[in-house]
Amino acid sequence: MYAYDTYDHAMVNARVAEFRDQVERRVKGELTEDEFKPLRLMNGLYLQLHAYMLRVAIPYGTLSANQMRTLAHIARKYDKGYSHFTTRQNVQFNWPKLSETPDILQELADVEMHAIQTSGNCIRNVTTDQFAGATADEVADPRPYAELIRQWSTFHPEFSFLPRKFKIAITGAKQDRAAVKWHDIGLVVKENAAGDIGFEVLAGGGMGRTPLIAKPMRDFLPVEDLLSYLEAMLRVYNEQGRRDNKYKARIKILVDAMGIEEYTRQVEAEWEKIRHIPIDVPAAEVARIKSFFAPPPLAVLADEVPDVDDLAQKNFIFKSWLANNTGSHKVPGYVNVTISLKPHGGIPGDASDEQMDLVADLADSYSQSEIRVSHEQNLILPHVARRDLPALWSKLDAAGLGSPNAGLLTDIIACPGLDYCALANTRSIPIAQSITERFDDLKRLMDIGPLKIKISGCINSCGHHHAGHIGILGVDRKGTENYQLLLGGSGAEDASKAEILGPGLDEHGIVDAIEKVVAVYLGEREDGEEFLSAYRRLGADIFKEAVYGTH
Amino acid sequence: MAKKITGPQLIIANRLDDGRAVFLTIAGDWSPEVANAAVAHCEDELQHLLAVAQASEIANHVVSVTAVAADLSGETPSPAHIKFAMQARGPSVRTDLGYQVSPNWEQ
Repeated sequence: MYAYDTYDHAMVNARVAEFRDQVERRVKGELTEDEFKPLRLMNGLYLQLHAYMLRVAIPYGTLSANQMRTLAHIARKYDKGYSHFTTRQNVQFNWPKLSETPDILQELADVEMHAIQTSGNCIRNVTTDQFAGATADEVADPRPYAELIRQWSTFHPEFSFLPRKFKIAITGAKQDRAAVKWHDIGLVVKENAAGDIGFEVLAGGGMGRTPLIAKPMRDFLPVEDLLSYLEAMLRVYNEQGRRDNKYKARIKILVDAMGIEEYTRQVEAEWEKIRHIPIDVPAAEVARIKSFFAPPPLAVLADEVPDVDDLAQKNFIFKSWLANNTGSHKVPGYVNVTISLKPHGGIPGDASDEQMDLVADLADSYSQSEIRVSHEQNLILPHVARRDLPALWSKLDAAGLGSPNAGLLTDIIACPGLDYCALANTRSIPIAQSITERFDDLKRLMDIGPLKIKISGCINSCGHHHAGHIGILGVDRKGTENYQLLLGGSGAEDASKAEILGPGLDEHGIVDAIEKVVAVYLGEREDGEEFLSAYRRLGADIFKEAVYGTH
Repeated sequence: MAKKITGPQLIIANRLDDGRAVFLTIAGDWSPEVANAAVAHCEDELQHLLAVAQASEIANHVVSVTAVAADLSGETPSPAHIKFAMQARGPSVRTDLGYQVSPNWEQ
């Protein structure tokens, strides 16, 4: 993992001291709320329906065991004993007191964490593949480049007040688990014929009220040009992005309006002007950052482990967990493990302080003290020996963390919704809970297979409903909660936008509708055909008929 | 004669220190219990309540002062819109914690 240098420590500590002073002045009345609000937002502190909410950055979703223990401690000491892992690979605390927030930020700074740029119209936390550095299908670990972008974008003076927030995602794997095509800028690590590492560059993706999939700009951008090219991309957006209407201010609107060809032309022209000034860092600095992400010293082990196979034969739950929650590692004898934060009837992404402490301990024991957070709101132990899987699963299961449902229908993404969020129109969490209660039979879930349900409580789309195989969008219908059903979205390399199936439904009707959609799929699928493929083959009408009975 | 408003209203805000949703009472202070909320039935009453609430906001006791439609069909007043009703009730999840259990909960 990246380790702070003296400059990083000084910068983050100075920011905590500055915010402590700002909070004191606010409490004394020396700052009005209008004056204070932008200052607290710059430090990730929102005011939600019932309390303040502190959003803490987890750079590219990577956490150490010690950092996870600090998050558990904060949940215990300053909050209500739990935290919420988000669809941006961040973590949120739902109940901090204003006056205690500087203490929380200091505790975070002490373990090299912060809440800087988790709000506001700036470049937000760079997100990536949760299995980065620990997956067999990877060209290269994307995290050194994510860290490079983080350092470039943090407190970037030109890009602190963009037309709107800005999100960059990067993946190094063939399978896109970072939803790069749904981001303002998407980067795909590639290797060219000469064996050099570079990036495919995409721009103009985004969800919200105008969902658009990013368009390709460059097939191969060399590593040494990354930051200057991003600088040119941001500069064109900063100059020409709309500031008159926040709903039309994201780069996706600009790119859509001028066309990707014209945007690319302008970026290339700008880049020609700036590429020779020292924006890009020397190769030695790239190498220094890469050294923090060196593969852990894993001794090659046998992939075949009789104990694992024996337990899988005897125990269907373990067998399912093995199939769904473990993935191929680049080192023989190891897997990456997804710890599902989607227990039956649970709240997607929530973890208690005890669970966070346990995950930290298990990371120390089984995964090189390393943890990841996925945008699908699960936790990952990236480097686990296959021989340790029975013991690990047993400990996870005893703590309510052994759900074998990663990638299945009940592995639902859901935003906090109206239970917490001041922007929401409807609740999201109870819908997710109702769906998991309806689909509570593991054999049935295994039979249904991979199916991604994503729920947003408003059009801002924090629950990624546009990218759901099944998406659910909460809307305000004359002051009551109503839910639109969408089908056919994907956040993967075959990205597609889910389409609304028909009129909105109430909270019971939407769960019934999921049942009907799944029944159509099970009845119509071909051998080995997954839900999304079946939907694309069948089209919407057959599902519409099942849900609405229009004929 | 007092001007009419579209319907009864009450005043909601968030406490400055902990963000807790609170309601303006007839006594001019703030209560976490919506049952204690003062209800304005006409424009003059609403303007009076808003003046009291805004003075409290200027004094840095609360933020986000908002007048919202009241539902008087129950035993006690409550916000009519689901969003503000949620503020009165607390989250519908994790009902073992906080003011989902008791409106008198203090952090």
